[in-house]
Amino acid sequence: MTPYKTIHIREEGDTLVVSVGGYLNSLLGEEVEKVVSANLDIGGRRILLNFQGTRLVNSIGISFVIGIVEKVMEREGRMAFCEVSRINRDLFRVTGLAKYVRSFDSEKEALDFLSGNA
Amino acid sequence: MGAEASFREEDFFGREDELSALTRAALEGSRGIGSSFMIYGPPNIGKTSLLLKLAKQLVATAGTDGLPRPFPLYFSFSQILSHPLALSQHFLQEFLSQLLRFLGDAHPSTFDPASMCDRLASFGITGCREVLAAHERCTAEGDGLSALVNALSFPFSSSGELFYPVFLFDDFQYTGKLQGVPEGAMLSILRPYIKSGHFPMFISGSSPGRVTAALKREGLFGTFQMIEVGGLSTDSSVRLWRYLCERRRVDIPASLLPRASERLGGIPAYQRMLVEEIFFRSAKVPDAVTLENLYAVSVTEGKLNRYWREFFENTFPDRARRGRAIRFLKRVLCDRFPLDTVEGAISLMGSSQEEGEAILSALEFKGLLKADLDHLTFVGDPVLADFLYWAFERGVLGKGTSQVTAAIVQARLSRTAPEPGQGGDHARRVAIVKELMRKWDLREVPLLLLDFGMFREKFGGKGLLEIVIGMEREAVRVRLPKVSSVSTGYRASRGGPRFDFDLVAYGFLEGDFSEENLVIWAVDVAVEKNLGPRAVEHFENRCRLLALEKGLPQDRLRKWMILNETADAATVELASRYGIHLSHPTQLRLFLNLFGLEELERDPEPARSPGSEVPRSGKTLEYELVLPIKADSEVVAARVAEEVAAFAAVDADTVDRIKMAIIEACINAFEHSASESGKVRLRYLLSPDKIELFVQDDGKGFRPGKTPEESKKNRGWGLKLIRELVDDVEIVTGPDGTTVHMVKNLGGDPADPGPVRQGAGGLGSPEEH
Repeated sequence: MTPYKTIHIREEGDTLVVSVGGYLNSLLGEEVEKVVSANLDIGGRRILLNFQGTRLVNSIGISFVIGIVEKVMEREGRMAFCEVSRINRDLFRVTGLAKYVRSFDSEKEALDFLSGNA
Repeated sequence: MGAEASFREEDFFGREDELSALTRAALEGSRGIGSSFMIYGPPNIGKTSLLLKLAKQLVATAGTDGLPRPFPLYFSFSQILSHPLALSQHFLQEFLSQLLRFLGDAHPSTFDPASMCDRLASFGITGCREVLAAHERCTAEGDGLSALVNALSFPFSSSGELFYPVFLFDDFQYTGKLQGVPEGAMLSILRPYIKSGHFPMFISGSSPGRVTAALKREGLFGTFQMIEVGGLSTDSSVRLWRYLCERRRVDIPASLLPRASERLGGIPAYQRMLVEEIFFRSAKVPDAVTLENLYAVSVTEGKLNRYWREFFENTFPDRARRGRAIRFLKRVLCDRFPLDTVEGAISLMGSSQEEGEAILSALEFKGLLKADLDHLTFVGDPVLADFLYWAFERGVLGKGTSQVTAAIVQARLSRTAPEPGQGGDHARRVAIVKELMRKWDLREVPLLLLDFGMFREKFGGKGLLEIVIGMEREAVRVRLPKVSSVSTGYRASRGGPRFDFDLVAYGFLEGDFSEENLVIWAVDVAVEKNLGPRAVEHFENRCRLLALEKGLPQDRLRKWMILNETADAATVELASRYGIHLSHPTQLRLFLNLFGLEELERDPEPARSPGSEVPRSGKTLEYELVLPIKADSEVVAARVAEEVAAFAAVDADTVDRIKMAIIEACINAFEHSASESGKVRLRYLLSPDKIELFVQDDGKGFRPGKTPEESKKNRGWGLKLIRELVDDVEIVTGPDGTTVHMVKNLGGDPADPGPVRQGAGGLGSPEEH
């Protein structure tokens, strides 16, 4: 098992907050996809990915994030990212992700956005 | 600043010449021939202590021949109070209380000017009540300038048979910043008294430019003699060390004191801070390395650091401006960027004219630079330079404190390069050892190969054949690690000197490449014919630093020195005490023989990997790494890239890009190569202007068809990302495998690595590679 996999989930109101830590590779990407899918399946529609603890990302990890975004869009949910480092923000731009999901500096701003306060 | 409260006369050492000149000038005031002095120097150098010591000496001089005695009035302008009314009030209070003390009152009622006036009257000094009344009037009218004239003139009008005032004005540059009072007003008020020769004045400040300009405007410049205060002489500084260490019960050998003095630029305040730091941390300084370590810890996280951090926070409350000032000073003081004009300074800062001038003016005010017309001179303070280095490395490059600490220590201990002319042979021997280490691969060899003392005892004077046979019977064997990378010339071309070993090898004790199995071998190949104890000491010191920086336990750093010809018994003994392996050329030959390498006399690095055409200029550093094809081992490659980039002082963002690119290249190699050896080979070439990365697998190359992994939707970003992350990518597939060659230029503005180009593709539609 990879030592770099860390993921924390909690709920803020009706938003599922997934904190992605360590190295976002295929294993961690898959894990994130799993928890988001499970949430969508039970009717959740608001997803926030917090990348504060993400030290490294690889393209397979990004492809999983893309998959997650597609799923959320399919179910007409709302999604946001927060605390994305500069390099990761650039990578999200290159892959086109940034066009579909808004990134916020802080988790609070993102939660306000998702709950429709902003 | 505020130092007068903590001044301890017994802490004062040295400065005999300055003191005698100042004392003489002050005493000559009684005969109307006293001269005034302007004392200047960088912050913290000891100007205040000098004034306070002078005050004590003057008080101690008994009046002779019935002449009035000098009354030293110490007054610091830093703690005020930019309003002239408040300043006048404070000055009057200080004057009254200090004068009463001078006249013999042990505890004057400092906060009650009226009662102090009454006490003064009992000494026959009158007119005090009137001055206080005048002050009240000025206050009521809000007339700051008149209040100043009233207060500053009083000491002179009250003097007479008994005393004459000698002003010791500290932090005088602050008088240029009084509200509603023109700059130089203070000097205008004092001008007649200064000119008289009866009232010598000693003006001290860290900003001579401003004060001398004011003196010139008042036509007083010629009246003043200038004294520049610098660090203590080595002799005085050593005496101060001895005294401080004794008082704090700090255990330090006397032989280290001159070095310690030089380290701190002979600046007494630093000495006090460092002794306290040592006292709190360990109270023991057995050797120079410990001293350097304690110093580096202090300047990166302890007292010395706190002192300068607060200094910069006070000088530049605005964070962005502070950052700019620190970056600028770092370039000038650490990198010794040649600079002596205002225009040059502003262009180096890269800021607007207005902001640049504001920064320079603040630095001048605080005494970190002297401006004479348009000519700038910066302070030469070794502790400040190290602080700036820390601030830059940590704040701008985002390095950890322990990393910076180690670099500071290393900079002090790094040795000089080998003598010219010895390089060729030396380089060849180093290369041979490098090749040898690469082949170790967990094999066991007789320990005698690494122990010169035992080897000499057993085989001294014997023939080679006899030795070879004897070796085979050796039961004591040692297991060598599997070496994953060996770096040559572990020395930075930019970003300061580092641990300059001839070789540093990363190996693993078992086949598994995990952190628990990691072991590092530091190797030096001796240049001198007869290895002496000094070289061994030096090697040991560097090893200790390497272990410190890498956070390695004792047994995970192996130390190996290879002799050129021989070493005397004492040196061998010393090496064995430090646990350093020593090998004689004969032992090395046997060692090579065991690995089938004894014929290796030519270029030990056959040109087999792509990119070997890169010119091996002295400034190129090369690192190699072999990665097993295994989940997440690309993270190791990224970490090594980070370490390599650290040598070039690359900004954090560029490092991130390099790491990302190498991760992608490794994943591609893992996924597509179908490698037979199960390994991917990496090379990192670092030159001053670029970093080149080679990721080579021995598989069949990138196959155009889709692999099962790749057929997963949304995949295939790898190469596209690499192209975005680095400046140049080239993929070469040959019979031996495929190599991805990536180049990242380092020449750009480190503050702006440039954004990644915007991708045109929509969500989940990467281009094919």
